[in-house]
Amino acid sequence: MSAIEFDHVWYRYSSHQDYALKDVTVTIGKGEIVGVVGPNGAGKTTFAKHINGLLKPDKGLVKVLGRDTKDESVARLSRDVGIIFQNPHHQLFSETVSEEVLFGLKNFDVENPGLVAERVLEDFGLLQYREKPPLSLSGGEKKRLCIASAIAWDPKILVLDEPTVGQDLNNKRQLLDLIVSWSQRGKTAILVSHDMEFLWALNPRILVFSKGRILADGKVDVVFTDEEILHEASLRLPQLAELAAKLGWKNPPRTPSEAAKRILEVKGWPM
Amino acid sequence: MDPRCRLLIALMLFAFSLAFLDLPKVVLVLALVILAGTLSKILRRLAKLQILTGILVAFILVINITIGYSVIYSLTLSLRFLSIVSSTSVFFLTTSPDELEQVLKWLRAPRDVVFAFTTAVRFVPVLMLDLSQIIAAQRSRGLEFEKGNPITRLRKLSPILVPMIVTALLRSNDLAEAIEVRGYGVSKRPTSIYELKFSKYDWSCIVIVVLATAALTFLLIY
Repeated sequence: MSAIEFDHVWYRYSSHQDYALKDVTVTIGKGEIVGVVGPNGAGKTTFAKHINGLLKPDKGLVKVLGRDTKDESVARLSRDVGIIFQNPHHQLFSETVSEEVLFGLKNFDVENPGLVAERVLEDFGLLQYREKPPLSLSGGEKKRLCIASAIAWDPKILVLDEPTVGQDLNNKRQLLDLIVSWSQRGKTAILVSHDMEFLWALNPRILVFSKGRILADGKVDVVFTDEEILHEASLRLPQLAELAAKLGWKNPPRTPSEAAKRILEVKGWPM
Repeated sequence: MDPRCRLLIALMLFAFSLAFLDLPKVVLVLALVILAGTLSKILRRLAKLQILTGILVAFILVINITIGYSVIYSLTLSLRFLSIVSSTSVFFLTTSPDELEQVLKWLRAPRDVVFAFTTAVRFVPVLMLDLSQIIAAQRSRGLEFEKGNPITRLRKLSPILVPMIVTALLRSNDLAEAIEVRGYGVSKRPTSIYELKFSKYDWSCIVIVVLATAALTFLLIY
């Protein structure tokens, strides 16, 4: 059984004339990491909101872990689908950081919520702030808190909308490791992002959205090096892919240190 | 049409909605409001906007009948209320915040008041968008508004209200900084790109409004 299944999905917002999703068909397996890219207004967030039933398709079918989203409430689906939206201020409301994490845990009747909250806060480096108001944290910490509070109830699918916005290099690395280990536990991660470098390093399956349709679906190496697709979706070639193209390398490096190693090898310089 | 003409029409309809207190005349003013809505092609939006007013209209009708007023009198009061609300809605539905700003400037309202008022109007759709995103974010964390007794449901509003207030405050702070760095308040009499000018069409509208006011005043007195 697949984790997520979109079958000829059409969706139109009542305030708009054009469809936001047009005949979207895609199947995402358990444990898969999928990057969703495309220009603003391409339908990425609309796609994400269908996964936990916040939006229901006008036409077509959305199945999450085998369940038709039309037959399920948002709360029931959210037990299995954790969504973290772009703006942390749309989510944070509790008096303390600890209570913010506990909110979801209590809603979903998770056992030992206090212990779980502490563990998650520790994992995200936020334990020292547990008694502080969430709004007193920095932008990056607020974002991490939002991710921590969704991961806390251990959903099977995680949807992250622009997770790298406001994150420094170290936090991005931590996030990358978290998503990889998440996937290794057989869980699915969907990342809606404009951060091409981050997606390049993560090496996920890529869905390119343009004007409500899926323009391309494939491995990051293939999609992100196809100039026609990148142009159509107003995307930029990741820097490492561009470097590899200019140097004529067949297999582009995934990280800057990998690129540096290869250059040193070619030049015969000591590492 | 010049926004000042629209304001004049709305003020006339509003004033006579308040002034009349018998059914045929109230119905006449309401018909004029509907006519204004039809001519400005906003009738559907106007009707949508009056859904909440409709609940209050029904409430006024029921309360007045319950406390012993006649059905005709109760109906008059209810339709009068609908007419008052709709006449102001006609103006706001046909006037953009920019036009509103121009009208207020023309009325010599203080600049800060004009800016605060038009910004508040401009921010309504933005805040509505924020509200829908906040509701989506909290529902995604398992918040169910449909469940529980009235007190529990009231408590469930805090995950919505707190982010809503915080977002609005942050936005207003950002805006304050953004306008300050672009020179807001430096000049006491800033220039304007747009200037309001009456066209022949506007003048003919004013003549019609004056004639209609005279006719309705005649109806009011006799």
